[in-house]
Amino acid sequence: MADRPLFDRYPEAARSWDRRRVLQTAAAGTAVAVFGGALWRLASDDLTRKARAEKRGDGRPRLPPGQRVLTKFRNMGGDEGPGDVKSFSLKVHGAVKTPFTVDYAQLLKLPQVEQAADVHCVTGWSCLGSLFKGVRLSTLAEKAGVKGTVRHVIFEAAHGYTANVPMADAMVPGAMVTYRMNKKPFAIDNGAPVRALVPDLYFWKSAKWVTGVRFVVDDEPGYWEVRGYHNHADPWREERYG
Amino acid sequence: MAAEQPRGGLRALVAKRWRGWLRAIHRDVGYLAVGLTLIYAVSGLAINHINDWDPNFKSYERERVIAPISADVPDDAAIAAARTALGVGTPRSTYRAGDEIHLEYDYKKFVIYGDTGTVIEQGRQPRFLLRVANWLHYNRGKRAWTYIADGYAVLLLYLAISGLFMIKGRNGLRWRGAILLTLGISVPIGYVSWSGGPQAANRAAQKKAEQAEREAGAAASDAEPAGEVAPSGAGGDATEEEGGDEFARPPVRRAPPVDAMMPTVDAMTPPSP
Repeated sequence: MADRPLFDRYPEAARSWDRRRVLQTAAAGTAVAVFGGALWRLASDDLTRKARAEKRGDGRPRLPPGQRVLTKFRNMGGDEGPGDVKSFSLKVHGAVKTPFTVDYAQLLKLPQVEQAADVHCVTGWSCLGSLFKGVRLSTLAEKAGVKGTVRHVIFEAAHGYTANVPMADAMVPGAMVTYRMNKKPFAIDNGAPVRALVPDLYFWKSAKWVTGVRFVVDDEPGYWEVRGYHNHADPWREERYG
Repeated sequence: MAAEQPRGGLRALVAKRWRGWLRAIHRDVGYLAVGLTLIYAVSGLAINHINDWDPNFKSYERERVIAPISADVPDDAAIAAARTALGVGTPRSTYRAGDEIHLEYDYKKFVIYGDTGTVIEQGRQPRFLLRVANWLHYNRGKRAWTYIADGYAVLLLYLAISGLFMIKGRNGLRWRGAILLTLGISVPIGYVSWSGGPQAANRAAQKKAEQAEREAGAAASDAEPAGEVAPSGAGGDATEEEGGDEFARPPVRRAPPVDAMMPTVDAMTPPSP
């Protein structure tokens, strides 16, 4: 390095480019980054550790296996819907006696519930205890007069996305179409204005930008289910892939 | 007296010049491919870490409080009052339902909860360059970009293969060349071997499911007479609430095997939140 004419003329530049110094600086930078990363990871894992120690009312651990707790949703992409309340409509149809469609204002006039739920994404993160407001799927089923032969619910969403959920999972009290989380509207990338919520299945079942709820007799695997993801998606059984 | 012809003619010429041609074409193809390489490399880095950040948008959310707006106030007056209190211009669209007043703008929206006066502002801006680069990388536009991406892939193949031979060096592909080449090839092979490959997750899940079924079967045979084992997953809260098996969960129906429907790179990111 020092034999180069420019560095001969500017020895302070040569010193700053000294190989040992560059390596020392790089090593120090790496150590700081690793230490910071480890600290961040440890702090995050504290939430996970606490959640793993908790039990649900049904005896299962609060945190399903292979999940890590985050404090807010991650944006997992997808083809977004229009996102505005003005163009929103929800069609409830299929094997029902009285199919109906509601706009956003009509949805808000249906019986409302607000309840806490944990959600678990198939990519490994979970978000615990968020407060969701909306209309239970059982309320929609009752209003539509679901026929006795129905065994599955198909969520229909923007751009043809679908997700299939067994009726048993869709009729639990926590399953709903929701428009508010923690007293706030959903952001567009989280499914605004209205999304589905089936908290005890992996979160891809809770279709964002939902446009329809269809009750069916025969199962119809949805967008991800025909692309290799599990048809049922129980997080406690780690039903991630089909 | 006729001039002496070089032995071998074209063959000799090719033998003498092929590395030079390879280098020249490599350089030109490199010029041609550099723009697309930047797009794919930068957006590849961005998309690869989609779990950690939003590669397309910068989002924000703000909360503030204004004077409550009574449900008795007519819609137009309520919207005007909200706009005045927030000091914002003409919205792209407005909406009022229940206790909510919505003001929609390009790239942002205000939702005002009239009963409390709480205002939630949510907005986002596309990331400069990345939004477009990611769009191209995902080939969301389809159509002609498919052909461009195919052509680019062919150019990359040429760059990779010609790179092996365009400078002979003292030892050619021996020694350092052979070591680096082996290293490069062994990285994907080693990773697949180490991780178990695309079927590893399925095998692990299958194993777990079989184990769970075995345990459930053993528990059921201890508790119930043979032949009356409950179907997998049946007996949830809804079943009990409905007072029968009206909504009993049927046996899990599995999706087609992964090999038959291999997701594309695009499809590997579930659009759950």
